[in-house]
Amino acid sequence: MKPTGILFFPAFDWAISPTHPEREERLLYTRDQLFEEGIMDLPGIKEYQSRMATEKDISRTHFCVPDVESRITKAHLVSAGSALVLADAFMRKEVKNAFAIIRPPGHHAMTVSHGNRGFCDINNEAIMVEYLRQHYGLKKIAIVDTDVHHGDGTQEIFYHDPDILFISFHQDGRTLYPGSGFMEELGGPLAYGTTINIPLDPGTGDYGIHYILDNLVLPVLEEFKPELVINSAGQDNHFSDPLANMNFTAQGYAILNQKLAPDIAVLEGGYSVETALPYVNMGIIMAMAGIDFSNLQEPGYKKENQSVAARETGSLDRIVKTQLRNFRSREEKVADNRKTGQTFFSYNRNIFYDTDYIHEEQKLNLRLCQNCGGYRSLSSAARQSDGAYYKIYAVNIPIYACEKCQAEGMELYRQMAESGKYDYIYLQDHPRDKFHAFNVKLLQEKVY
Amino acid sequence: MLLGIDVGGTFTDGVIFAQGEVIARVKQPTDERNIKQSLWSALDELLLKVDKDDIERVVLSTTLITNLLATGQGEPTALIMIPGYGMPYGEYNICEDTFFVRGFMDFRGREIENIDQDEVRDVLREITKRQIHRAAVVGKFSNRNHIQETMIKNIAKSDFPELDIYISSEVACRLNFPRRAVTTFYTAMILKEWNRFADEIETVFKQRHWNGRVEILKADGGTMTLDASRLQPCETAFSGPAAGNMGALALAGEAVNSVVLDIGGTTADISLLIEGKPLYASKGAKIDGRFTHINSLAVKSVPLGGDSVLSPDGDPLIRAYRLGPAACFGGDRPTVIDAFNVAFDLGIGNAAASYEKISRLGEQSGKPVQEVSRNVTDQVVLKLRAEITAMFREWEQEPAYKVWEVVNRKKFTLQRIIGIGAAAEAIIPLLAKDMGIDYLYHKYSPVANGLGAALVRPTIAVEVHIDTQSQKYSVNPQGHFGVIEKNSRFGLEKAKALALECLKNAAADRGLAHMTPQAQYYMEEQFNIVRGWDTAGKIFDIGIVIAPGFVEQFQGVIK
Repeated sequence: MKPTGILFFPAFDWAISPTHPEREERLLYTRDQLFEEGIMDLPGIKEYQSRMATEKDISRTHFCVPDVESRITKAHLVSAGSALVLADAFMRKEVKNAFAIIRPPGHHAMTVSHGNRGFCDINNEAIMVEYLRQHYGLKKIAIVDTDVHHGDGTQEIFYHDPDILFISFHQDGRTLYPGSGFMEELGGPLAYGTTINIPLDPGTGDYGIHYILDNLVLPVLEEFKPELVINSAGQDNHFSDPLANMNFTAQGYAILNQKLAPDIAVLEGGYSVETALPYVNMGIIMAMAGIDFSNLQEPGYKKENQSVAARETGSLDRIVKTQLRNFRSREEKVADNRKTGQTFFSYNRNIFYDTDYIHEEQKLNLRLCQNCGGYRSLSSAARQSDGAYYKIYAVNIPIYACEKCQAEGMELYRQMAESGKYDYIYLQDHPRDKFHAFNVKLLQEKVY
Repeated sequence: MLLGIDVGGTFTDGVIFAQGEVIARVKQPTDERNIKQSLWSALDELLLKVDKDDIERVVLSTTLITNLLATGQGEPTALIMIPGYGMPYGEYNICEDTFFVRGFMDFRGREIENIDQDEVRDVLREITKRQIHRAAVVGKFSNRNHIQETMIKNIAKSDFPELDIYISSEVACRLNFPRRAVTTFYTAMILKEWNRFADEIETVFKQRHWNGRVEILKADGGTMTLDASRLQPCETAFSGPAAGNMGALALAGEAVNSVVLDIGGTTADISLLIEGKPLYASKGAKIDGRFTHINSLAVKSVPLGGDSVLSPDGDPLIRAYRLGPAACFGGDRPTVIDAFNVAFDLGIGNAAASYEKISRLGEQSGKPVQEVSRNVTDQVVLKLRAEITAMFREWEQEPAYKVWEVVNRKKFTLQRIIGIGAAAEAIIPLLAKDMGIDYLYHKYSPVANGLGAALVRPTIAVEVHIDTQSQKYSVNPQGHFGVIEKNSRFGLEKAKALALECLKNAAADRGLAHMTPQAQYYMEEQFNIVRGWDTAGKIFDIGIVIAPGFVEQFQGVIK
């Protein structure tokens, strides 16, 4: 039997600020717990060493403004690189599954990165997904976001991508950051139904989360048939988390991972550093490695706190029915959207970076292609935290783009580079695995 | 004058070293059934060659404990565990007489669940009923708070005085519950036997009217006093490779990245010197397949030695065992050494015998003698090179937990092979040439183990875990738990000063007070404990060590 791969990278020398929830201490007690239990000594566990992700790895997913070097810290490169180490280990069949216990986290980071939002600068899972598609030719991948906060970054990155199924369950966005993740957010016109959001009432515990897992998440995965399942593994649904209001337990997390059986899990949030993280991380490892976790229990656990109100089951059932219907109608809906006769689908929006206090204005255009998921382009403007103002234009040609979309996208990049209306122009050319960044003022192009 | 003896599995070697030279040496086969006899006969032979009053210090390294541990001999011992919540109890099948009791401690040393004194008494009663007179007590996170272990020890003391109790926080006060359990269990099991041996050592020297310092070599490449060894006997296991590695370092004379290759009759032991320091096994020494808290060198043992037999049917050509000496030393089978002898015209022993055996091997496979011998030497080089490369890769793959460490990761370039052991002289020149690096084979290489034992200095490492919010600290290895005053400005400097104080105490306990100026910090970690958005205290982990090195009298080996 192959071992479970673990990459433990607690970034003991990195914090957003000394007392911020995302601080050096965050995984200290997890280290104590894992080391005291002797987890890394077990024959069923193989520990891996981090590496730095390259600028190209980052550029495959993000448009970092102005560039990767100045936007992204070494800590983020190591965290993202750690996920890639495990992706390699899994694809080379060295391990049966793998868990990256890493920080800084990433699931609030969107395609364009002007700074830090929701404690995230770059999106570790998304970087790993693009890496897996490029290096190992995977096509269909599912990401299940089990963090208490809506994984809005991951959702945004793959919102128009019909091959990536993104499922997020989280505390209802009306009661918690980032205030999104409602059931109506189902994916773009050509990727309808491959984004599934499950907003849960505050106070939902083991029963509720397992109800939607058993009746919605697992059936949807079964029907989608992904080649790889990723758990975007936040631990802040735990009853002791200081930033959220849910009622999930360490046992609940362990059973979730046993049922979900992710190929790769990547740690996201979770800020109950003493009462939840050491035990939840243990639970996930034990479940993934097939170790009996019945003796695992966190201090403060009380069985009576897990009783279920009848009202809860009713609202869960409504979510399950609605989202199953939405998911199952996806092909029909996409076909309808193609018949509208429009060439482009576009919208404007504002994105707020809570950590760095940045307001980004963005406009998106998606090519409504008859043959593929279409290429997309973004214009974005923001004053970053150091006061610098950037106006950029970015083109994303996805890996599945048809030849016509590829040609149009490249032409668009050339036109915009000549237009003089922006400070930087970017191109993600996934089919050729080339990533361009053009500095308009200096007339310099960098290609990764 | 410094005297060192290493009783290895195959050979016992000893030296007396003075003024840069080995002035007396002995090398003889070890009698595995009577290790002590091998030790005393080597000692007596050395003592004959000098005036014993000139000997300042004797260091002994033996396989006594290694063998005891390997064979599981020792006194019947029970294991009482306080595992609390976490891994299933089934993971802890360390010995037959293992008992689990209630109780639960967390990583901050907070008692989450108390022990049940009646349950503890029942367990102790059962242990005595089984005619077992010693027990190891191991609690999860007892390195952060030893109160539950200590309570069990006290119950035994008052109600079951015939039972000797060893608690893990006093044996190895570091994180890793299973390793603490294994280390404490084996310490309890062999402590009596080792103390009988320590008594014998004292008697032997008394009989020889010598009353200088006797030290025991440890697995980490340093020594400890005979008295200190009485409490920590497990540290004396696996000292042989440490002796060889440190002996090689003494011969090398400079701090270059080297591989130490100890090629004996049946095995080649590979260890590394990185920037002049021995590389440690990251997970501690293994006993019976289980990791321990014994700090030991990283040693890879490859079943390939000078006397490895060559087989006529060719696949594999080199067998992983020995059937007596090489043909050139009167054996009746062709061996690896014979092949080197023929291939490179080394003139070792009776070279004609090597030639004859290898040609016969050639006849059987229809190949000329040169081709057969070259084939063997190529395979030996290939195998050793692959093992050495794999060992580096493993070292380079050690996990790092800080951004700084990952960004500034060092790349290792190997600069030299140092050969020790009987068969090294023949083999390493070819291996070094193949790898494109230097090699060193010194005239003292055959007694490198004895030399290493003679020259190394005592080592001691102390790790202090300080929690300023709970105002407590704990010290590895003594298992000392102390209290600090409430002080919101308790910072890194104070933490380091406290660690130094702990090291001074530990050094004084071990008769090493004079060495504390040589202590170095090797770990300085600090974390804020945050409550809400405010700092409520700090956690420090400070490590301070008197690292492996040589005694002051040693100023190098005369070239």
